[in-house]
Amino acid sequence: MSFRGLSPRFWVAAAIVAFVVLVALIGPLLVHTSPNATVGGLYDPPQCCGALLLGTDNEGQSVLANLVYGTRTSLIVGLLAGLIATVVGLLVGLVGGYRGGWTDDVLTAITNVGLAIPAIVVIILVSVSLPERNIYTLALVIGLTAWFWVARAVRAQASSVRTREHVDVARLSGAGFWSILARDVLPYLLSYVVMAAVLQVSGAILFESTLSLLGLGPSNATSLGTMLYWAIAWGSVRTGAWWAFVPPTLMLTLIVFGLLLLQSSLNEVFNPRLRRGRAARKSAKPGVGPESPVGAGGTEPVGAAGMLETPLSAGTEQR
Amino acid sequence: MGTLVDARHIRGVYYTGDKDVVAVDDVSVKIEEGEVLGLAGESGSGKTTLGSIIALIARPPLHVERGTLEIDGQVQELGGDAKVPRTWRGAVVSMLPQGAMNSLSPTKRIRQLVYDVMRSHDRKVSRDEALDRARERITTLGLPARVLDAYPHQLSGGMKQRTVTIISTLLNPRLLVADEPTSALDVTSQKILIEMLLEMLEKKIISGVIFVTHDLPVLRTVATKIAVMYEGRIVERGPTAVMVDEPRHPYTQALMSSVLAPEPKYSKIRIEGMSSFDRSLFDAPAVIHG
Amino acid sequence: MVLAKYLGRKVAWTIVVFFVALVLNFMLPRLIPGNPVDAIVGQLARGGGTGGEQLQQVHEHFMQEFGLDQPLWQQFLTYVGNVLQGDFGTSFGQYPASVGSLIMQALPWSLALQVPAIIIGWILGNILGAVAAFKGGWFDRGAFVGSLFFSSVPPFAFAILLLFIVAVQLGALPVGGAYSFGLTPEWTPAFFGDAITYFWLPFWSLVLVFIGGQAVGMRSMAVYELGTDYVNYNRGLGVKDGYTVRYIFRNAMLPQITGLALSIAALISGGLITELVFSYPGLGTLLFNAIGQNDYPVIQAITLLITVAVLFANFAVDVLTGFIDPRIRAAQSGDR
Repeated sequence: MSFRGLSPRFWVAAAIVAFVVLVALIGPLLVHTSPNATVGGLYDPPQCCGALLLGTDNEGQSVLANLVYGTRTSLIVGLLAGLIATVVGLLVGLVGGYRGGWTDDVLTAITNVGLAIPAIVVIILVSVSLPERNIYTLALVIGLTAWFWVARAVRAQASSVRTREHVDVARLSGAGFWSILARDVLPYLLSYVVMAAVLQVSGAILFESTLSLLGLGPSNATSLGTMLYWAIAWGSVRTGAWWAFVPPTLMLTLIVFGLLLLQSSLNEVFNPRLRRGRAARKSAKPGVGPESPVGAGGTEPVGAAGMLETPLSAGTEQR
Repeated sequence: MGTLVDARHIRGVYYTGDKDVVAVDDVSVKIEEGEVLGLAGESGSGKTTLGSIIALIARPPLHVERGTLEIDGQVQELGGDAKVPRTWRGAVVSMLPQGAMNSLSPTKRIRQLVYDVMRSHDRKVSRDEALDRARERITTLGLPARVLDAYPHQLSGGMKQRTVTIISTLLNPRLLVADEPTSALDVTSQKILIEMLLEMLEKKIISGVIFVTHDLPVLRTVATKIAVMYEGRIVERGPTAVMVDEPRHPYTQALMSSVLAPEPKYSKIRIEGMSSFDRSLFDAPAVIHG
Repeated sequence: MVLAKYLGRKVAWTIVVFFVALVLNFMLPRLIPGNPVDAIVGQLARGGGTGGEQLQQVHEHFMQEFGLDQPLWQQFLTYVGNVLQGDFGTSFGQYPASVGSLIMQALPWSLALQVPAIIIGWILGNILGAVAAFKGGWFDRGAFVGSLFFSSVPPFAFAILLLFIVAVQLGALPVGGAYSFGLTPEWTPAFFGDAITYFWLPFWSLVLVFIGGQAVGMRSMAVYELGTDYVNYNRGLGVKDGYTVRYIFRNAMLPQITGLALSIAALISGGLITELVFSYPGLGTLLFNAIGQNDYPVIQAITLLITVAVLFANFAVDVLTGFIDPRIRAAQSGDR
């Protein structure tokens, strides 16, 4: 992969994502206040500087502290859940797509049912029933409900790779099932998997914030979603205490937008066919790249969005 | 037998981001009435580009910098900002695209396309009139009338190619530019298509054909004249028999000798591949026969 | 008939999925350790204000309703039987109100908000995307980035910001609820006029996000279609642009419709959250309150409703696609 292929869009996206990650990593080190410490009254407005930079929330706690710790929590949950979803989906898709036969039939049936049932429904039902809700159980639940579309897409690609010659060669030379999957099939899917992972992470972050907003968030940690939950529950919007909800909203928007932008720019790098030209269009068929989600709880893909983005009309590049 | 088409000094350049590629470098070509001109050459020789320029469908990143096209006495400037009238396309000169499979929208029936083509050139034509004319043309040329009611995916490859050929000639264009029409077909379908083209010429549905292909043996059966292109120029041009048996330009010689011809006449001649030739020889000046 | 076979398969599939959803809906809440009725009664007792005798009544009522003394499969059958008759049980949090009545109060508001938002958002978004593709240039660039942004903003984030800026700071539109305090819902123009002012903000926050998503997709599809062979061929035959546009639309529409089906779940959940932000008395707020009160019957009923809505929407889209794309019908029934 050459650096020439990286468009300005990529760098903007990378910058946004890097910024948010930095806030999550370094923020808590810079802000010495604990998010649970009472530093002021109810909805104190922001004052420079230090813990009250962004005012206080409904419990008199520092919004700034909650923001940085909350970002960290949201990112952790998103990353974990995204990873789980990607790995599970990858495994299921690989095994089903490569194996074929009734293994494939069973796995595909499960995948299709999983795809048809709205994930948000399952997540709500499970979360409500959990005796205890912490970051890890949440991540697990989100991850386990989101792997279906990864599996479907990976399966399609795996079953096409299966027919290639080098796989036959590997099989004839006695390589084992898992060895073939890992060394002969997976490398062809790697670029796709990376993009799918990015999408999963952003979707998981949205899921987590949706859950938290509904009141099903982690009970022992602050996340961006729980901040919003409290902001709404205590009517901060009505009273105009913008510092209680604008910062987490902005941070959430930044990270989701950044990740989606990253995925769409990576799409162009990994799929040069998606760039301009007739030859490019001939070989690019719908269904080639991962699709980006829309809205809260959106790990469900949306039609063509992000899929066939030819860089802004070939016409603009003409003399 | 007058001159049907006179294309003069055509220069076509691809403007790409980094540098410009001259695909057609000052090419002039004439076609007589009733003639089939075979345009041969390797990939990248510019033959398809020339064909698309003459068929009036050049578009960015291809730019026609210079050129004049005269068909049946009507003159059209091609270069620079010249505006090509929409009605010329399909009615004066028409294209037969490569890969008919993709040239038909999968969600429309054939009859819809037929109607749209006709009414784009004659606003007053009614749907029934248009379909009747089409039906007549189709059956005259040997296809079943039900083709009109079909979706593209319901037709076989060969049938699609022939249907597209008929649609391209519905308006009786003077010149038909066929771009690799036989490349995607099996041998039997190729034969049927070529026969259809010749039949159209005979019935005066069309008056001249430019047959662009890299498939030299096909040209032997259909072309009256052959022009060989190399790197944007025509390097040799002449009647088919002369071009095949007595080529004089080094490039043409190389091209002809690299073709496998299963006829007894050629069975004793060894095939040399293109790579065995010294390419610098190919820059020799063009040879025009008669 | 080919279409009938295609539809038949879709119906069968939908029924299967619905059944699985029913099972999940039934099973998952029962994973809680312990007896849910005891837990709820315990909560009521702790909350105070409910005497011993009343608690006993409540306890009996729910034991009967859930049939917890019966074997699991029998409970499931009872549940399914009830659901199919529209009986969703009694609410915990708002005892003794029936779940059905609570939902019927909230449902019309949700429908009134989301259905127009989805439809209008889809139409406007696709038009915007198509125009951007055709026009190209600066309009295209701007529309593309703008749409990408709108489609990536979480809908509730958008809702919150809109609420803050327009309602609180500018005071232009009401801050929450569905109608002014003191009014009762009725089919009069006066009430309608009042309710509309409360409708705008949640409606537009949903629509703008939907537009963004659709525009991005449609633009990509249109750009792709503009470069296809059949468009080129049409041009080569001198077919008027106006006629060719119809071909492009037909083809570009297909993935968009499919995409709509795939994102219905996300759209609906986004809609529910938006309701929450605006305290709009639809299913979103109902769900939120139910979760706060651990009101399982209500939660279950709403999740089932969401599932039904998504399944129905998917089915509708499948039917539509079957009509529009002749290849789908052919492929599904084994035609060449």
